[in-house]
Amino acid sequence: MDNRRPIRIVLAKVGLDGHDRGIKVVARALRDAGMEVIYAGLWQTPEAVVRTVADEDAAWLGLSLLSGAHMTLVPRVLELLKKANLNHVGVLVGGIIPEEDIPKLQQMGVARVFGPGTSMAEIVTFLHDWANKSGAVHD
Amino acid sequence: MIEGLLDQFRRGDRQALSRLLSLASYGEIPIASLSGLPGPAKKCRVIAITGSGGVGKSTLIGKLISIIRREHQTVAVLACDPRSPLTGGALLGDRFRMVSAPREDDGIFIRSLAASPGYGAVAENLAPMIQLLKSFAFDTVIIETVGAGQGDTAVRDLADVVVLLLQPEMGDELQWEKAGLLEVADIVVIHKADLPGAEETATQIQNILGLSMKVSPKVIQVSSKSGHGLDELWRAIQTGSSSH
Repeated sequence: MDNRRPIRIVLAKVGLDGHDRGIKVVARALRDAGMEVIYAGLWQTPEAVVRTVADEDAAWLGLSLLSGAHMTLVPRVLELLKKANLNHVGVLVGGIIPEEDIPKLQQMGVARVFGPGTSMAEIVTFLHDWANKSGAVHD
Repeated sequence: MIEGLLDQFRRGDRQALSRLLSLASYGEIPIASLSGLPGPAKKCRVIAITGSGGVGKSTLIGKLISIIRREHQTVAVLACDPRSPLTGGALLGDRFRMVSAPREDDGIFIRSLAASPGYGAVAENLAPMIQLLKSFAFDTVIIETVGAGQGDTAVRDLADVVVLLLQPEMGDELQWEKAGLLEVADIVVIHKADLPGAEETATQIQNILGLSMKVSPKVIQVSSKSGHGLDELWRAIQTGSSSH
């Protein structure tokens, strides 16, 4: 991959969920893997997250949910991304997601769900593989 | 591809702006190729906010954004954070601190940028990016530097107004005699002015600046916490222009 075009990823927590330890660890790991991590932080609305992705021209959006609201908030984000013409943006979900919801989320368009115990290397490899497969994600 | 994007841009497409900013940041849009774009509708002011890491640049910008929106003006921010010299990665966290701004607002555009070491505390290729934002008719463009050291004066050439943030208890009097960042500032803000020692720091800076021949910059005490000095700062930014 061209060094001048690192992977840009927005990491955000949507809804009323104050647990940000996990997302910060992921942010740090992706930074150390050479990516540009735009950390949007806690208590974001789906609208604000989509606006951030658009204005930051990010190729990826990582959402962390530990509140149990993923089946409400994730579809909302996906819908808004589509409405904003951001179909090219890959969406990752992390946090506490029950097994049975994972296929449902992936069906809706989530690229991958990373649960507890995921190694940082796994997430990094996933993103790098994707970037290598598709060249520049954007073009 | 760039021509198509420029057409969309002319029609006011925000996504085209976003894409063009990325291409500009990669150095793929020479500033000459933007000469055909419409000029800024009104006088657009480019403000640089600089100072050491932790001095409160992002927080202060968040407050300025609120004031600017209160006056029904629009604002774009280019927020620079350091890129790792080891891995090329970056954690861009400035946007997060500008929280006082409602983020779905069309009158606010924030782009986070990674700045490589050795470019004077700003990201590369800022000039064409500023040009794009001006042409998109933002009333104000704010550049936030990386936590800047004494010699990081590159931002002077990019901005109409350079605001340097200092905080109480940063150094002794000799510290301020040194050449560098203090010389290129139009406005010096003693930030976190709610902390003890702000008055003394302001006085020291004023004394040092008073010794130079040129018009000395305004020194303003500001507390983003209490809101003290924010309106005074905004007025100074609007009336102040480069004396350099």
